Amino acid sequence: MNHSKKFIRHVLAIAISIALPTVASADAAYDALKQQVEMMQKQLAEMQKALEKQQVKVKEVEANTISRAEAKELEHHVNAASEWKDPNTLIHMSGYADIGYTDAQDEDGSFVVGAFAPIFHFQYKDMFMLESELEFEVEDDGETKVALEYLTIDWFVNDYVALVGGKFLSPLGQFRQNLHPSWINKLASAPPGFGHDGAAPVSEAGLQARGGFPLGNMRANYAVYIGNGPELVTEWNGTDFELDGIDAEGKGADRDGKKAWGGRFGLIPFAGLEFGISAATGKATVTSIEVTAGTAPALANEQARDYDVFGIDAAWQYKSFALRSEYVKSKIGRATTGASASDGGQWKSWYTQASYLFPTTKFEGVTRYTDFDSPQDARDQKQWAFGLNYLFASNVIGKITYELNDGQKGAIADDNRWLVQMAYGF
Amino acid sequence: MKTINNSSKALLATMLTVLAMAFSTTTQADGHAKPGDFTRGANVWRDNCGRCHNIRDARELRDDQWYSTAFHMRMRGGLTGQETRDVIAFLTSSNKPARKPIITDAKAPTASSKASKLSGKAVYNQTCIACHGADGKGTLPGAPDFSSAKGPLSQTDDILVKHVTDGFQSPGSPMAMPAKGGNTALTDADIRAVVKYLRSFSK
Ligand code: HEC
Ligand code: HEC
Repeated sequence: MNHSKKFIRHVLAIAISIALPTVASADAAYDALKQQVEMMQKQLAEMQKALEKQQVKVKEVEANTISRAEAKELEHHVNAASEWKDPNTLIHMSGYADIGYTDAQDEDGSFVVGAFAPIFHFQYKDMFMLESELEFEVEDDGETKVALEYLTIDWFVNDYVALVGGKFLSPLGQFRQNLHPSWINKLASAPPGFGHDGAAPVSEAGLQARGGFPLGNMRANYAVYIGNGPELVTEWNGTDFELDGIDAEGKGADRDGKKAWGGRFGLIPFAGLEFGISAATGKATVTSIEVTAGTAPALANEQARDYDVFGIDAAWQYKSFALRSEYVKSKIGRATTGASASDGGQWKSWYTQASYLFPTTKFEGVTRYTDFDSPQDARDQKQWAFGLNYLFASNVIGKITYELNDGQKGAIADDNRWLVQMAYGF
Repeated sequence: MKTINNSSKALLATMLTVLAMAFSTTTQADGHAKPGDFTRGANVWRDNCGRCHNIRDARELRDDQWYSTAFHMRMRGGLTGQETRDVIAFLTSSNKPARKPIITDAKAPTASSKASKLSGKAVYNQTCIACHGADGKGTLPGAPDFSSAKGPLSQTDDILVKHVTDGFQSPGSPMAMPAKGGNTALTDADIRAVVKYLRSFSK
């Protein structure tokens, strides 16, 4: 730019200085001068054209080259980028969320805000990882409930052992620890007995060792834990106490002073097939009352009852066909002393689920059968669930599920349901 | 009651043993562990990453995100430390873009214009076999069957080379094929060679 302006100024100055002394001369001289000027004008125009061309070229070159300053800056960015790539602490966020619509036989259909469950990971080198999942849920009355699903610090001791301390998902079975997030669960609901307050324990506060190792040509994985154990809920029906449920969600304190321990062992004979066996044992005490009629007497001197869990699970995959099955039984012993002394009970459930992703489409069909049996007849449920899913991506899934429920006549457990859900794992 | 007490003791003993084991074998914290390997990692990925949930796209996350995710999945799926390092090697390689360098010198030969040092078969066995199988029939949901001349192999070499180089996902496919099968070290010539080799499955 500057160059060309200067150049034009010079040319004009020269032209004028040549032109001035000859102005007063004769006609001939005038004509000669005119010719000269015209020629010069022509030359000037040509030069301008050439200059313009040159300028376009310069622009092109400018666009395609990097100045020293720019290169310095780039270098800085590159250095900064690789610096960030290799820090001692990595920060990572993932999680899942779902929304939907549910319409049950004897209830009005409603939009449901399922859950927003962000997961935070902070990782110190390849030695420690802090894992934490929060769960936000909007309840029926519009209140938002927040729960700490899990919070652990994992220590990768070596290639085969990791020690986990804190509140963790129960390592028993496969549904609770690995399949419950909505982008993973192929149906819009948990199998009866595997949700919260069912037959399968949800979480535990304690210490866990887990890992995997090769076993000949096979592979094995394991988890062993010791924790505070669950607490029990009893029901007061106006005349006496009856066991209502097991509250097996990681307790912040061990109110009965008795620990529970257990674990799971998984075997993968070959890729695509896995068997698991789980067990836990310990003690559990009644700590809360569900009153259905009258006023309940206060709890006092509650006896620690036997608590035992047993489970088996299996998973088989072949191409886009997957079959899963799981059985779990949680058993509580009887109490003979204490205000809420009553018989024991057992909660058990099993499900089998088959799914098939139709090749070259994004549609997936799912069928699941569940049989849940508890001490309360009104909650027992046999369920057929059918689902059709659309996989926008591996982690973004639209689901339509129909539950054909068979329970006690008149009980909620007997109502069939439609569920529509959109789940996103991020 | 007594049996429970006894088994509690047994468990504590087990835990202590585990701890002792843990302290004695520090294969990883001391930095002497084997580094991750791309091919083993592709196998770990194929065998594990679809066990619990739909297999995710190998190019879906940034390297640092894969790093944390792999450790998270080590915890979930009972992977060994070695399997974790291997799958990280695979996933971070799959991320390397098949991008052109910013400043190119037209005269200098680019890496990819060099002749292939590997045979198509060698490339296949090194990089592609984990997902496409020794028989070319595919080991993953979504991987095509190369034993048939129909399907993807009905396309020209040029198209196949492009799909292998840039990565490829057909509509409705549960999983994408990562660019260069995840192995950024492959040259254009390697890819031409392996595409030729693919055709031998359908003969
Ligand atoms: C044993 C079951 C299991 C296996 C095996 C497994 N995953 Fe996962 N994966 C999960 C669960 C469960 C979650 C959800 C985490 C949560 O909600 O806490 C998840 C989450 C993820 C996420 C979301 C990001 C995150 O960290 O939460 C990615 C990505 C992922 N898995 C990739 C993989 C890859 C890659 C592999 C193979 C190395 C793998 N998964 C193997 C169970 C598994
Ligand atoms: C991590 C697994 C994986 C690896 C490694 C892998 N592929 Fe693939 N490949 C796939 C999947 C999955 C598809 C199907 C993608 C789709 O259809 O969406 C595919 C598709 C293809 C196709 C068909 C493309 C088309 O146009 O339909 C070719 C050709 C191919 N792969 C060649 C190779 C070669 C050559 C290698 C080794 C250099 C390789 N793949 C490595 C998973 C893999």
